[in-house]
Amino acid sequence: MDELMYLAPEIVVVATGLVVLLAGVFLSPQSKNILGYLATLGILAALVLTVKSFGLLTMQGFQVGYSIFSEALNVDALSQFFKLVFLAVALIVSIAAIKYNENSDHTEEFYTLMLFATFGMMIVASANDLIVLFVAFELASLATYALAGYEKQNARSLEGAMKYFVIGSVSAALMLFGLSFVYGATGTTSIPMIAANPGLLVDNPIGLVAVVLLIAGFGFKMALVPFHMWAPDTYQGSPSVVSALLAAGSKKMGFVAAFRIFIVALAALQPDWQLAFTILAVATMTFGNIVAVAQTSVKRMLAYSSLAQAGYIAMAFAVMTPVALTGGIMYALAHAFMKAGAFIAAAVVVWMVTSEKKGNLDIPDHLDSFRGLGKRMPLAALSMTVFVFALAGIPPTAGFMAKFVLFSSTIEAGMTWLAVIAILNSALSLFYYARLVKYMYFLPPEGKKVSIPFPYAAALLVAVAGVLVMGIWPEPFIKWAMEAALVLV
Amino acid sequence: MLPVASLLILVPLIFAAVTFFTKTKDQAAGLGLVGSLATLGLTLYAYLNFDSSTAAMQFYESIPWVPFLGINYSVGIDGISMPLILLNAIVIPLLIVFSWKEDREAPNRFYGLILTMQAAVIGVFVALDFVVFYIFWELTLVPLFFIVNIWGGEKRAHASYKFFIYTHVASLVMLLGIFGLFYAALHQTGVPTFDIRELIAQFQFFESGLMRDGIFLAILFGFLAKLPTFPFHSWLPDAYTEAPTAGSVLFILLKIGGYGLFRISLPMLPNTGNPDLMIMMLGLLGSFSIVYGALLALRQKDLKRMIAYSSLSHMGFVTLGSAGLVALSVSGAMFQQFSHGLIMSILFMSAGVIQSTTGTRIINDLGGLAKKMPMLTVIMMVGFMASLGLPGLTGFIAEFLVLTFSFVHLPGFVAIALLAIVVTAGYHLWAMQRAMFGVYNEKLGNIGDINTLQVFSMGVIALLVLYFGLNPSPVLNMMIKNSEAIVSLAAGLGV
Repeated sequence: MDELMYLAPEIVVVATGLVVLLAGVFLSPQSKNILGYLATLGILAALVLTVKSFGLLTMQGFQVGYSIFSEALNVDALSQFFKLVFLAVALIVSIAAIKYNENSDHTEEFYTLMLFATFGMMIVASANDLIVLFVAFELASLATYALAGYEKQNARSLEGAMKYFVIGSVSAALMLFGLSFVYGATGTTSIPMIAANPGLLVDNPIGLVAVVLLIAGFGFKMALVPFHMWAPDTYQGSPSVVSALLAAGSKKMGFVAAFRIFIVALAALQPDWQLAFTILAVATMTFGNIVAVAQTSVKRMLAYSSLAQAGYIAMAFAVMTPVALTGGIMYALAHAFMKAGAFIAAAVVVWMVTSEKKGNLDIPDHLDSFRGLGKRMPLAALSMTVFVFALAGIPPTAGFMAKFVLFSSTIEAGMTWLAVIAILNSALSLFYYARLVKYMYFLPPEGKKVSIPFPYAAALLVAVAGVLVMGIWPEPFIKWAMEAALVLV
Repeated sequence: MLPVASLLILVPLIFAAVTFFTKTKDQAAGLGLVGSLATLGLTLYAYLNFDSSTAAMQFYESIPWVPFLGINYSVGIDGISMPLILLNAIVIPLLIVFSWKEDREAPNRFYGLILTMQAAVIGVFVALDFVVFYIFWELTLVPLFFIVNIWGGEKRAHASYKFFIYTHVASLVMLLGIFGLFYAALHQTGVPTFDIRELIAQFQFFESGLMRDGIFLAILFGFLAKLPTFPFHSWLPDAYTEAPTAGSVLFILLKIGGYGLFRISLPMLPNTGNPDLMIMMLGLLGSFSIVYGALLALRQKDLKRMIAYSSLSHMGFVTLGSAGLVALSVSGAMFQQFSHGLIMSILFMSAGVIQSTTGTRIINDLGGLAKKMPMLTVIMMVGFMASLGLPGLTGFIAEFLVLTFSFVHLPGFVAIALLAIVVTAGYHLWAMQRAMFGVYNEKLGNIGDINTLQVFSMGVIALLVLYFGLNPSPVLNMMIKNSEAIVSLAAGLGV
């Protein structure tokens, strides 16, 4: 019974998903709005339970954590921190989706898929066994494939979903293949057991093959260059609320899984994957930022900026000191707020353009739709400004604090060259972020003032609060992230 | 005792927040004025309670912020920061009065941003923790970016991006230097701290001379680009020229580059791997900026651009005086910051008025303005004379101190700088003669003089230029103890 206590957040999420699915069958389309509120409440409850679990862990000692279900799952600082990330994203998406799904006949499907995806991500964060990790990974992936194609009348949405599904399936196969090599070499699927027998993997060609396959498999979810091809199309084509879930949530699932597999299980092979991740991190941030400059679709720009941000987080693998991991883990949470918020702000604009049936209907998230947004929808414009400045790392925001810790670690480790690359990237990114701000505030509006729907406003405010709280009062977050990092090393 | 240092940040910030929500122009400007006057009141309170006889930190406050990383919110005021706070507190309310009658879009944002800017700049001056320092340092970018980009001239987009990205890169390089300082000190003592004075004290104990040089140069780069100094000045002419008048004045009040030089770089300098080389470099950059800025100013057709380049030339004195490393040359450099802030405010206000009344800033298209705008001409004349270094005005005091006392260690560079004196006098007088005197250019139509509010605000600054030119001691006294402290540090190490 005790074991279930530690899984309370997951249980609440999955139970909410089932209740929503079941209730949807009996509700008329008009009354389905209530499902959104229900899902939001469930996520909120899970969020509170996760935060409370930090208290339980303090008693036990953060790094040890609790192993449950015959050590298949591990509840420790790392898992709880990432659950916080996933639930924060789910909360923001769920609130915004209340408006997105208004008068839709498929509300229950949307919310159930979203909750199951979140559930999958949460289990990945806790997974202590390769099989559990893979199954949970696929649970989250399958749910998000369906969500990406949720607008089945919209060709772009379908294109994005198809690409995501095909590439995702191939990557899953690669990942599974890689995991099977690890199993073949070590004879166990338990992550601690693999870590305990480093001799079986070192100097073994099978170990190297496994690393290559696993980097490709996880690199897809983390959207690292060159495994990123799906990301821009999918982020642009999917409904914006789903893009938020993908970029801010599901991408972090790739990171937490990679943390567990590479840093814990394959610690013995560190020299091999560290070099690979160093190259990938530099390539990803540089490519993402350069291509983002040329985008006119804001969602596509955010997709490339999301690549760049993944490149920053991947620096944690390249530097591999406790401070770097703290920074990377903190960045995951900061990025969750910033990117989810930015996509929701894009969702608001898409909603405005499509509901007015005026402007660029083919690409409703075109930069031109953001003209004069500061006058048309002050709240949306102001929050978008906060998000993009946070993404660029301007204080006092979450993005600054996370970058502060992460970039400082490169100096600590003596990797000044990496810090210089990251900084130049950071400056380059300011260009396209500032351009968006310019469109919102400095160009004349092309329409009347629009009042922002309440759910969107609430979702934006939650994200803004997250970004600012983390920026102004970073101490608890740095502490948790540090505890989480110590789980790994 | 009031917690003045914190209030000096909070008061303008709170007024800024309220100003953003005002509806009409009068409300916005009114609140802006009240907020900046409240800041001025606080500053005067600090000034009256300020003890000039010590280099110690006064009005010190410290609250733990992120204790286990050694980040504290610590602020304080000393002789390096007090004059610059005073400068900001005096000019900002006058700037608001000056722009009172101008019509512009979104006045609530305009005045809100001015106050935000004031809070951020004062934040940099009072911060005693590197993280707090860096946060305010970066925050100064945002209001200026908006002010240039919204209310600027034709090429405002280009200018604002260039300024934003250029100085952001410089700040990030500085941040790397700060990280280096932090980790090296952590390695040394085992106690994490971001305290500026503590880290500077630790700096001398770092073993590798190369590392000390690297850290010093990275931080110095941030300051030199902000100051700016040749060759990191290319954002300056565009940004200063394209900014609206208030924006140009805010740029002038943004004395954080020079401030960083005095607060952080100079105390570190004697402990670098090769201090003599660093001094040579600073002296060279300073004297070269003086000459280069003056020569470029001479060939400008645009009055505002000419003033922008003259500003580059004047900031060279700050670098040169710092490199001089004699108590009075450093004081002179500090005084130059104060004096330059006042003088350039007059000049940019004048250029702004000329543009809005005549519709042009091209010097040759003007002519004989003195006949139509006598009040402006008188005040502008004071500004120009002070700018070219006429004795009796503040510019003279600063440049005299810098040149005389830098000569002790750096005679060669002073000789180079002296070359520029003639050019400086030349372009000021020539511009004045073409624009203000001679035959009135009838094409400009029937124009009137500046209004009473403008006379008042510019006149007060002009009187201050005169007053502090005749009696610099109230400001200079605050600086001397701190300059002596900086210099004795260097002298103790035989530099």
